[in-house]
Amino acid sequence: MNETQAPILAVENLKKYFPVRQGFFKREQAPVRAVDGVDLSIWPRHTLGLVGESGCGKTTVARLILRLLDPDSGIIRFNGQEISLLDEQRFKPLRKQIQMIFQDPYSSLNPRMTVAQSIAEGVRIAGIRENTAQRRRIEQLLSMVGMPKASADRYPHEFSGGQRQRVGIARALSVAPRLILCDEPISALDVSIQAQIINLLKDLQQELGLSYLFISHDLNVVSYICDHVCVMYRGQIMESAPAAEIFENPQHPYTLKLLAAAPNAELVGKAESIPPLATNPAAAQSPCSFAPQCPEFAPACAHEPPALRVVAPGHFVRCLPKAG
Amino acid sequence: MQTSNDIVLSVENLQVHFHGEGPVAKAVDGIDYQIRGQQTVCIVGESGCGKTVTALAVMGLLPQPPAQIAAGAIYFRGQSLLEMSPAELRAVRGRGIAMVFQEPMTSLNPVFTIGDQISEMIRTHEPVSASDAARRVLQLLDDVGIPDPARRIKDYPHQLSGGQRQRVMIAMALACEPDLIIADEPTTALDVTVQAQILKLLRDLQARKKMAIQYITHDLGVVAAIADQVYVMYAGVIAEQGTTDHIFKNAAHPYTRALLAALPTRNKRGLRLYSIPGSVPHPAYKPKGCPFHPRCELRQPSCMEDFPQLCDFGKGHLVRCPITFADRGAGKQRLT
Repeated sequence: MNETQAPILAVENLKKYFPVRQGFFKREQAPVRAVDGVDLSIWPRHTLGLVGESGCGKTTVARLILRLLDPDSGIIRFNGQEISLLDEQRFKPLRKQIQMIFQDPYSSLNPRMTVAQSIAEGVRIAGIRENTAQRRRIEQLLSMVGMPKASADRYPHEFSGGQRQRVGIARALSVAPRLILCDEPISALDVSIQAQIINLLKDLQQELGLSYLFISHDLNVVSYICDHVCVMYRGQIMESAPAAEIFENPQHPYTLKLLAAAPNAELVGKAESIPPLATNPAAAQSPCSFAPQCPEFAPACAHEPPALRVVAPGHFVRCLPKAG
Repeated sequence: MQTSNDIVLSVENLQVHFHGEGPVAKAVDGIDYQIRGQQTVCIVGESGCGKTVTALAVMGLLPQPPAQIAAGAIYFRGQSLLEMSPAELRAVRGRGIAMVFQEPMTSLNPVFTIGDQISEMIRTHEPVSASDAARRVLQLLDDVGIPDPARRIKDYPHQLSGGQRQRVMIAMALACEPDLIIADEPTTALDVTVQAQILKLLRDLQARKKMAIQYITHDLGVVAAIADQVYVMYAGVIAEQGTTDHIFKNAAHPYTRALLAALPTRNKRGLRLYSIPGSVPHPAYKPKGCPFHPRCELRQPSCMEDFPQLCDFGKGHLVRCPITFADRGAGKQRLT
């Protein structure tokens, strides 16, 4: 990690609880702790992977960073500037520098707007108002993502999923962002198209010096594309390490479980090593959210809250050290 | 080698066409495959390659029109499914062949309890009393690993998680102890850890109940984990077939090899991923000759003219690419 540079995005102790109201009187129940004290840093020109299963809060983290949701507490610093408390008007110019690519390219483009109209909104916001200049910029953006100029005047339904995702990327690039939040950008695409989009994202990172937050449930993709990986479970970061480290030296039982479960075409016939589902009755009151399923549940886990601890430089794990 | 009467399902030169506006879409364009007892056969391909249409044709669930089975035959335990009356086919569906669909939420009826839905399946096919059926439902839910089945039996689909719903779908498919289960991307909508559980469940049940499984997926990782025999489909035809080892350790078709090269894995960190140019052709506008030729690195002039024949690489490894076949014969390896 480059110590001389500051991270482009630093998130500290970020929390977002969603209230749950149930029953006849809509009484307030225990809230859903969607994001429960998350810390992360993204360094310039780096890719941070955020891995976890559905419902673990990874998309909520992205929405909080973009201020599509307001955090309950915590600090979000973009480029050194605290942005979690800015009002909408003061945040707007900053949002140009943080963009998002969505999972489903079918529902994230307006079907009634041509590709050019979709991208033009961003181009206008970026300050290009004159028509021919706008058009030139749109064509330039399309060629950056590998789409022909002629596609500008066509509608989303005329394109395949991979092409739509390219348009989504062009739209994100239209305001010249520095950080792009990629929320499962390839999981809705066919296998032969996924590689095209991954290569495109890597090329754009090189050319434009972009930083990525790459949200995914697919450990194979994350291990390929990311520099650093955070494993998230029930709103908390369970393990955080450089990509090579987390795959060679995983520490948290949940990371081990994810790694064992991920189907891998390089391991023909070796899928028998899935750890069994543990059920620990003593774990119901445990401060560790993974305890009920943990195959390494120890007596101390029932009462002692696990804090993030360092196991190697840059490698943190939220799990009590093993006794002995 | 097993005897031929061990064959559960045999599909011969199946062609399924869709008639709509514009040219005829040949979604399945002449495929042959066989499934033996207790075998797991994976049909792998990208969206639009015809893998689901094939399964629906076997199940007799294709809406005709617009679909039309233009040619071919489907034999289940030697009986021709395409020549059966609707009543005969209903007797095979469920008892002989059952299907598990990708999206359990849309396949389950939201206004009936899961117990009702599974026992309906049993009572449609077998003359059993309601209480006997209920007992079997409990046993089935237990078999597929639903905790506390006596309580869960009264649950509605929305009260279950995605993984549990898929377990219920599997319980329903198992209800009449079929010889063959066709599973169409049953884990695609699920988390990886849940997917691993469902795959393990299918394998365990297969060993216990002695079923054959036809597993349809686009995920080569899943194929590596469960398949005995693999068929790689592209644009309505089988591009390559063989054992799991043939496909993963000795893949020959340029499409299979490109798919494997395009998979992001940590062993490829720092390397550029191979990406297949272009996209899958629309079934109504397939190119002449080999359907893969516009995206193929080994393309020869003959590929644009002649539909390639299956070449026999030995031991049941068949590849629809004469170019690779000629290269291997001459000891050449052109693709990386």
